Amino acid sequence: MEALKLKLKQQIIEALNLQDTKPEDIDDNAPLFGEGLGLDSIDSLELMVLLERNYKIKVEDPREGRKILQSVQTMAEFIMSKQAA
Amino acid sequence: MDIKCYIQSSAAISPQQSFTGDYIPQLLPLTERNLMRAVEPAYTGFIPPNSLRRMSRLLKMGLTSALQCLRNCNSAVPGAIITGTGRGSLQDTEKFLHDIRTYEETALNPTPFIQSTYNSVNGLIALQQQCTDYNNTFVHRGFSFEHALLDSILQIQEGVAESVLTGGFDEMTVEHHYIKSRIGYWKTELTQPADMLGSDTQGTIAGEGSVFFLIGTAPSAVELKGMQMLYKPTPEQLTASLSQFLTQQGVAPEEIDLLVSGRNGDTRFDHYYDVAEKVLPSSVEKIHFKQYCGEYDTAGAFGMWTATQELLSGRHKTALLYNNFYGEQHTFVLLQGSKS
Repeated sequence: MEALKLKLKQQIIEALNLQDTKPEDIDDNAPLFGEGLGLDSIDSLELMVLLERNYKIKVEDPREGRKILQSVQTMAEFIMSKQAA
Repeated sequence: MDIKCYIQSSAAISPQQSFTGDYIPQLLPLTERNLMRAVEPAYTGFIPPNSLRRMSRLLKMGLTSALQCLRNCNSAVPGAIITGTGRGSLQDTEKFLHDIRTYEETALNPTPFIQSTYNSVNGLIALQQQCTDYNNTFVHRGFSFEHALLDSILQIQEGVAESVLTGGFDEMTVEHHYIKSRIGYWKTELTQPADMLGSDTQGTIAGEGSVFFLIGTAPSAVELKGMQMLYKPTPEQLTASLSQFLTQQGVAPEEIDLLVSGRNGDTRFDHYYDVAEKVLPSSVEKIHFKQYCGEYDTAGAFGMWTATQELLSGRHKTALLYNNFYGEQHTFVLLQGSKS
């Protein structure tokens, strides 16, 4: 799980071009949107693409996406649950 | 024109050091390919970091030059935003197309798609400056900036706007440079800008840039007297049209003391410039602006910026810009300065 979260942070930084942000700057449980990283709706679409490209996971339901993209922790848990299934 | 139009301010990002400080045109040395790259300024003073991270190169250049143009005349919200671009953000377009192929039309990033649309720069300017008035982008190859300019003049003449932010922007990528090389756009041998006009070969040197003007009714040092576009004229039609254009503007050929020419060293189209030059006295001073910015769809905007700088310097009184894009789209723009 820790390795996945680190990898996820690196992928988020690269996908969203978060200049001057390092993986250790992102708290596992900090909200990705609004506070925390301050991402917006276009970023949420980019994160959906990230999940699809890197983990072959397609999020069909936008309401489900809102829960999954709360934090790095929720994203990692979702990926693990899908990989276990 | 019933209502006089003036150039109230301008800003240019180009292969020259044109964005800040005193502009001294330089013949740049090229080492790798026939391409003059734009010198990008520091964007952090213009664009918030959270927006900057998402923007591609052309969007940053376009937005920053537009904002600098507004800053130069202490204006925040223009009456309209009208631009021209031949290709829009090529970097985003190429990324989007590559991803379509790589990911077989699935999992496509939204950002390059959004930014690849031609009117992205206009949208960004409008959002940042909270400008909700007329907003339009023209995409007509070598007439793109020129149609933006014409629309700006019409907006002012119709009384719709008192000031218009008018711009032209294009970028060149390595891939697009290669594609255009296949259809003879560029010289096949590495050619220096200093040698391009006397090279006696086909093709030219590529360029890129973003240039903005604030055009309005408030008097300033440079008046935009008029413009005319011609599509694929014969040399005879070009001569007749230029003479007629000057007559319509009430300017005798002898009154023009500066010709800003789009001559680019392509032997296929040099004769048009010879024809235009014959209409003017042989003593007229000439600046061949594509030696400094290269060839691209909206290079005419850099030509107009060059003419504006010359008139602002007081060295010249009346400037004629003549440009053509690969022999198809021809434009005259007449500018008059009040400094001398």
